[in-house]
Amino acid sequence: MTGQTTIAPSQDVRSDVDSLRRVWALAGLQRGKGLRGKVLRGILYRFFQSLSLGLAFGAMIWVVIDLAAGQVLDWARIGQVCAIVAVSLIGQTVFSYLSAMNAWLASFELASDLRLAILDHLRRLPMGFHLARHKGDTVTVLTSDMQMLESFLSDALPRIAQAFGLPVIVLGYLAWRDWPVALAALVSIALGLPLFAWTSRRLALLGIRRQDTQAEAGARMIEYVQGMAVIRAFNRLAKGEESFRAALADFRDISVRMVMQLTLPLVLFGAVVSLGVPLVMLAAGARNLDGAIDTGTLVTALVLVFSLYSPLLALISVMELTRMADASLTRIDRIMTAQSPPLPVSPKEPQGFAVRFENAGFSYVAGKPVLTDMSFAVPERTMTAVVGPSGSGKSTVLNLLARFWDVDEGRITIGGVDIREMSEERLNSLITVVFQDVFLFTGTVFDNIAFARPGATQAEVEDAAKAACAHDFIMLLPQGYQTRIDEGGGNLSGGERQRISIARAILKGAPIVLLDEATAAIDPTNERAVQQALTSLVAAKTLIVVAHKLGTIRAADQILVVGEGRIAESGSHDALMAAGGRYSNLWNARARSESWRIEGHSSNLATRAH
Amino acid sequence: MSLAEASLAETTESLTPEAAQGPDYLAPLRLMRGHLGDSSARLAFAIGLATLGVFAELVPVWAVYRLVAAAVAGTLDWPLVTTHAAIAALGVIVGFAAMGLALGQSHLVAFDVIHRVRLAAARHMARLPLGYFAERPSGDAKKQVVDEPEKLEAIVAHGLPEGVSSVATWLAVSIWLFAVDWRMALAAIVLTPVSFVLLGIGMKRGGTYATAYQRANARMNAAIVEYLAGMPVVKVFNRTRDSFAETSAAARAYADIETRWARAYLPLGGAFYMLVIANIVVILPVGLMLVKAGTLDLPTLLLFVILGANYSQPLLKLFNQFHGLAHIAMGSSAVTDLLAQEPQADSGRRVILRNHDVAFEKVRFGYGQNDVLHGVGFLARTGEVTALVGPSGSGKSTIAALVARFRDVREGNVSIGGVDVRDMAIDQLMETVAFVFQDTFLFSDTIAANIRFGNPDASDDQVRAAAEAARAHDFIMALDHGYDTPLGEQGRTLSGGERQRIAIARAILKDAPVIVLDEATAFADPDNEAAIQDAIAALTKGRTLIVVAHRLHTIMAADQILCIDRGHVAERGRHRQLLEQNGLYARLWEDYLHARNTPLRPANAATITQEAV
Ligand SMILES: Nc1ncnc2c1ncn2[C@@H]1O[C@H](COP(=O)(O)OP(=O)(O)OP(=O)(O)O)[C@@H](O)[C@H]1O
Ligand SMILES: Nc1ncnc2c1ncn2[C@@H]1O[C@H](COP(=O)(O)OP(=O)(O)OP(=O)(O)O)[C@@H](O)[C@H]1O
Ligand SMILES: [Mg+2]
Ligand SMILES: [Mg+2]
Repeated sequence: MTGQTTIAPSQDVRSDVDSLRRVWALAGLQRGKGLRGKVLRGILYRFFQSLSLGLAFGAMIWVVIDLAAGQVLDWARIGQVCAIVAVSLIGQTVFSYLSAMNAWLASFELASDLRLAILDHLRRLPMGFHLARHKGDTVTVLTSDMQMLESFLSDALPRIAQAFGLPVIVLGYLAWRDWPVALAALVSIALGLPLFAWTSRRLALLGIRRQDTQAEAGARMIEYVQGMAVIRAFNRLAKGEESFRAALADFRDISVRMVMQLTLPLVLFGAVVSLGVPLVMLAAGARNLDGAIDTGTLVTALVLVFSLYSPLLALISVMELTRMADASLTRIDRIMTAQSPPLPVSPKEPQGFAVRFENAGFSYVAGKPVLTDMSFAVPERTMTAVVGPSGSGKSTVLNLLARFWDVDEGRITIGGVDIREMSEERLNSLITVVFQDVFLFTGTVFDNIAFARPGATQAEVEDAAKAACAHDFIMLLPQGYQTRIDEGGGNLSGGERQRISIARAILKGAPIVLLDEATAAIDPTNERAVQQALTSLVAAKTLIVVAHKLGTIRAADQILVVGEGRIAESGSHDALMAAGGRYSNLWNARARSESWRIEGHSSNLATRAH
Repeated sequence: MSLAEASLAETTESLTPEAAQGPDYLAPLRLMRGHLGDSSARLAFAIGLATLGVFAELVPVWAVYRLVAAAVAGTLDWPLVTTHAAIAALGVIVGFAAMGLALGQSHLVAFDVIHRVRLAAARHMARLPLGYFAERPSGDAKKQVVDEPEKLEAIVAHGLPEGVSSVATWLAVSIWLFAVDWRMALAAIVLTPVSFVLLGIGMKRGGTYATAYQRANARMNAAIVEYLAGMPVVKVFNRTRDSFAETSAAARAYADIETRWARAYLPLGGAFYMLVIANIVVILPVGLMLVKAGTLDLPTLLLFVILGANYSQPLLKLFNQFHGLAHIAMGSSAVTDLLAQEPQADSGRRVILRNHDVAFEKVRFGYGQNDVLHGVGFLARTGEVTALVGPSGSGKSTIAALVARFRDVREGNVSIGGVDVRDMAIDQLMETVAFVFQDTFLFSDTIAANIRFGNPDASDDQVRAAAEAARAHDFIMALDHGYDTPLGEQGRTLSGGERQRIAIARAILKDAPVIVLDEATAFADPDNEAAIQDAIAALTKGRTLIVVAHRLHTIMAADQILCIDRGHVAERGRHRQLLEQNGLYARLWEDYLHARNTPLRPANAATITQEAV
């Protein structure tokens, strides 16, 4: 499968401490919300819960030692034990509740904030960023990866705290009673932890690969259903060539690999740690038989040994969560650390709406310049037609003007100000675009048009729709303007979609209008009407049009012929025709093309258009 | 997007817990069973091993208890210590080995099952009527194929082996404990049922939010997919912070439902985890009282202290996996529902076609309640070009889609070579029809792979020939990696005209007897358009060509022009005849000429001072 994201593992893998630090930083993202405090409390309370449980064990040891020494119980003692145990139970209940509440709610809040922050960040990133990665991948970051992070904060982190609570007390207690036994107890932990760290690292590598694979599979599935009609039409399923198969198989394989590679180290870790039990048995038994410790201490050590290791073993299941979350964090950071174009420190105000390209150079892919030395000027309130063969860079010119990308060389100005020195909002308010690719959102027809101007009234939206010749068909829809549009406008015809996008652009009412083959999907009758509407609309605007229509081109104040990444020719229609260059060739090609027809072979009609 | 009201309505709706019916907790098991394939023996083996593992893990507990008992009785000696340490070590090793092996196996089974479920779901999608997808966000598919099956891992890889083994062990040990001292046994297990009841209540309370949760999740998914897909529009039309109101509202609603769920579930469900391991707080007081009463000896008390505190641990491990059970169950139900969707009827019959005439007879069809086509009838003959023209929204693309059975007619019939398309195997139909869609859709694969989509077995030369015919070869060769250049998602890294030409090459390569072109050259520049049209014209021989076009000059010489108006064939005939009728077609033609020649703006007063920089 091509197009798969390859990643440099060395950059993506970090130590557990680094990841914790990163989570910590993210938790501090929304200052003043006290998320960090909540997370901390979640951990702390869980530790306390563990300590409360330890209290019961303490009470147990307290009596057992005396019992082992042959003392007789009195009721007062039993009462005290009962009291301690009651406190322990209450402590556990309260702290476990508080811990869960803090950790869970904090994790939900954090994830929600982070999601919003990422969404906001995404919108500022250049289009190049979006095109370079699969949409499905980004969706996965915002959904699955965030859930991983949530689980880490709500579940894993507190469990880690819990895992260390009891063992620390037990070890401390053992050390106090007899340090050689404590040392023996420590051996297996000391041997186990490096194994744990090593496994964890390994898991980190695989984890991120696995999540990338999962994202890839998700992306494939989205593409699969979006392209279902094409897949059907080309009968790919019957031939067993499903594009998603490889992605799904990859996903299974990497999952299997992960389990295969991790089971052994994890089992080893568990076994090594647990072998501490026989070791403590030996050590404590030997010390007791040597007379170094009394029976009470022996019994305590033996009774406590499981409380020492069990919580640590629980780390095994936490590890997977932790590393997955870490992989997610890395994937989140790929977005969060992407640079959005710098905002100007002191935004400048354009004087008028004249547009100039000054020696603009640009390439989508380094080394493959699309525009090399593009210079032209569009005076305020004039119309410029951009013509040129398919792929020559016409849409690119508009993309640059809307600042979807920034030029590599030269500059673009509006009203004398470099568009990079304008505030985002200002530039945006100046420009309206009808894209070559129509895009509509799920939502009502009204919402889709009003998207251009939040708060637009019904009347304003209707006026725009009327100008775009969309009003009539909208009124015929089941719920008129309140009809819901399916994803991507799937329940409208091609021309209907295009007219809604024109209405949207009209409603915006910006002084600079960019039209990229805006009427390609509209029938002649509607096209004529739309053109008339645009005519009145754009009378006072600066207009840049990519078009094939002869009329439009001819009437332009200026025609720019794009070729070889620059303006090959420019001037009015008559001047260019007279020059007899590229434009006149293009024009003649057009004339030829318009007399062309799809000819049936049974036909002996060889009509050429006038 | 100003979807404020809509999303508000949705929010409140989705936040009401579904009181009536909670999640179906058995759905994951049923889904698993249906896709276990030949793995059931392996799964049983894993469960058996896991049970062995859990038993073995309890061996050290027993060994320790024996030492404690000996120590208290004063009978401790070195051989006793070493043998028991050895037994404990053996228990540890066997226990972990068995458990590791068991989990390894169960994971393999799980990933296989998940893979099978995924393939089944994805394949099933391909058999559904296309209308199914129109109404659903494409993010759903990702959820149902990738995310939801993934959740089965918790059940198959962990839930079953760990669950069965820990319950079996727990029962066995409980019986043993009862045999030793029933009063202490009671004290040791009393918290377990209590905690389970709490968990049950907690899950039930949380479960009422499962539907709402699922819905909020789906909504967020869809909103995010769209937000990203519409990025250029978001950027140009709405750069302010609430430009993604719907998306952020969806994200907030999701966080909200999570919080509500947690609040409902936590007080009781959370207590479970605490209580299951807290039984020492019962064992100790009860034990001390019994000791005081003289009916319990110290070693037995210690047995319960040691064992009691430990033997519920496996249960905890099990239920750690389960606090998301409601979500897992909902996910499985969603997949099951998808698999239960009625596929598009397929006769599976391969029939011999006399010719490839496409005939519509009194075809009625509509997407929703209202009909879009009202009795369309025509015959598109083999070897001829049939053109569909008409106002936008009149039903041209719809007619085209019916030829390939992307939808099924409501009344009347569509036939190819005299055979109703519904009586033909879908495979055969798809082999018969090639399609260039109004909306170009390319896959994020290489250019060659995209063209080869038309015919997977095509040689490189054939691919190249198709590209040349579609006038795509030159620009492809100018790309860095030529035919091996990977395309971005949906071919977005190509210009509009370039994309369209790839789609045409794809259809040309397919070399099918019926070719449907829906505005195939709308974005082609005139040069290319002429060349492409030539290539298509060359294709016509012996084929049936159905062409939808707004650029009327491209279909002037068609053998038959059908003028579609509001779902009827309003006029039919050749260009000349139709012009003479002076009806709809004549009007379209006039508008066409007019639009071609109308300036977008009357000659402007402002002249361009040649300030070319
Ligand atoms: N995102 C991108 N990444 C890489 N290359 C791109 C990208 N977008 C466009 N290109 C390439 O840049 C060139 C110019 O594309 P552009 O879309 O500007 O052409 P155009 O003149 O608008 O063509 P058309 O008339 O077909 O729409 C094309 O060769 C195209 O393949
Ligand atoms: N999936 C759908 N669900 C509901 N209505 C639909 C759907 N697709 C199309 N329609 C409606 O059916 C009618 C016919 O649509 P169709 O796409 O066939 O038009 P068309 O003639 O191809 O128009 P255009 O020239 O604009 O492409 C339109 O009114 C459209 O709104
Ligand atoms: Mg373009
Ligand atoms: Mg159409």
